Amino acid sequence: MISNMNSRERFLAALNRQEVDRPAVGNPTSVATVESMQATGAFFPDVHLDADKMAALASVGFDLLGFDTVSPYYSVQQEAAAFGCEMSWGEIDSMPDSLNPVFEEPDEVKIPEDFLDKPAVKTVLDSIKLLRKRHGDQCAIIGKVMGPWTLAYHLYGTQRFLMDTILEPDKVRAYLDVLKEVSILFANAQFACGADVVTLADHATGDLVGPNAYCDFLLPVHKVVTSRIDGPTILHICGNTLDRMGYISEAGFNNFHFESKVDPLAAKEAVKGRISLSGNLNNVQTLLNGTPEKVEEEVRKAMAAGIEIIGPECAVPLRVPNSNLKAIAEAVMKISQESR
Amino acid sequence: MSTLENIKEATIRGDRDSAVELSKQAITEDLKVDDIIQKGFIAAMGVVGDRFNKGEIFVPEMLIAARAMQAGLGIVKPYLSEDEKVTELATVVLGTVKGDLHDIGKNLVSMMLEGAGCVVVDLGNNVSPERFVDAVREHKPQFLGLSSLLTTTMPGMKLVLEKLEEAGLRQEVKVLVGGAPVTQEFAEGIGADGYAGNASVAVNKIKELLSVSE
Repeated sequence: MISNMNSRERFLAALNRQEVDRPAVGNPTSVATVESMQATGAFFPDVHLDADKMAALASVGFDLLGFDTVSPYYSVQQEAAAFGCEMSWGEIDSMPDSLNPVFEEPDEVKIPEDFLDKPAVKTVLDSIKLLRKRHGDQCAIIGKVMGPWTLAYHLYGTQRFLMDTILEPDKVRAYLDVLKEVSILFANAQFACGADVVTLADHATGDLVGPNAYCDFLLPVHKVVTSRIDGPTILHICGNTLDRMGYISEAGFNNFHFESKVDPLAAKEAVKGRISLSGNLNNVQTLLNGTPEKVEEEVRKAMAAGIEIIGPECAVPLRVPNSNLKAIAEAVMKISQESR
Repeated sequence: MSTLENIKEATIRGDRDSAVELSKQAITEDLKVDDIIQKGFIAAMGVVGDRFNKGEIFVPEMLIAARAMQAGLGIVKPYLSEDEKVTELATVVLGTVKGDLHDIGKNLVSMMLEGAGCVVVDLGNNVSPERFVDAVREHKPQFLGLSSLLTTTMPGMKLVLEKLEEAGLRQEVKVLVGGAPVTQEFAEGIGADGYAGNASVAVNKIKELLSVSE
């Protein structure tokens, strides 16, 4: 087993299923907590539109919590804000939300020429630059973009979009085709600013749609998206996803970030060694309401299954105690030592 | 197939236009409105719920079936005579918890509970614990349904239960919780009376809890 890897080296090796000194610890979504906000003075909701604060809060992941990563894009709404959706930016312990769709038809969608300068988008890009400057090559910077399916939810309306998968499938395809350009544009801009990897959050979850919906509508689009993004990518989908993980492993992503509903051994089996996996510690029962001992128990299970990047299943609830987040890396290191 | 069977089939496949036309036809055939509702729409949603539970269909199919049912009910309900009024199963207050704007699942529960004969008071989304308590005080429901789609907002469900306790109302109402990240374990942990993983299960759970309390 190799040694002396720094966090960035370890994370990138884990992402690419290469040899590591131990599994990486990371969250492709968000580890922001109220406790971390109090430690840095960088609070929700200010951080979503202030690059300095966004970067300061993200640094906590590496500086204090023992993660190999920093992840500055906390919510799922920066693009929706850039497209002019009315926003509720939330409170100290709640995530932002877009309040109204802005498009009725796919041919209404025009990506503004100054999209990358829109405040909500520019904040993410500037925070990535700040994080690269601050941390150098010591830790991995994980950017994030919304995929075209999720963008359609926010910009057209979730209920309508879901019904259209049956009633107007051509409209669904048209939305995915035009909105994928947003994901590609924003992801490439994040790599240009210094991101090491970009998470594509695209919520075609089994809690809403069947695996055929992913295969028929989204898989071909994801193949195009991953081929046009200039760097490694992680796909994140919440909820039940086991039935589509085989398809996901063919879409061109380097890694899939999955939730606690999916058993880690079954997840490993489903992707057949094609991609690495990250996850899948339970946010509420374990990280919010559990103890470091419960965290270790779940880490042990994920490591035994061979999950390459150990971390929470999704953006953590904002009141999660940092002690439970620190317990993740502590458990990974302890369990790695046991096998030596 | 009879008109009632055709209504049922049209609703199952989410054919709103046929559900509307067949509902009009059923009225002209002088069928009992209660029969149209029970044997047409409610029976259809039972089949739809069953298929959803088995993973044969997903939310889009549920949504278009519910849409067909609502359209059909809109045609037939005005023809209910006073003595033919569908027996009210229960009064249910529903809402998505504070900080959470997701409502598709809650809306499906609302539509299916109405179809099953409940009076539904839907508070919408982003509902504070205080508003839930006020609604329980005002409407005196048998059931309160809390929905949350985010692990970041689930903890708000426990707050609602605590506020009900503080207001002396906790024992007056059965609280059910649901939403994609919610589990049976979570429901028990916060002291809820029941957990429903989807809209169809919610209807069955309410019927189960009602029969236990009789």
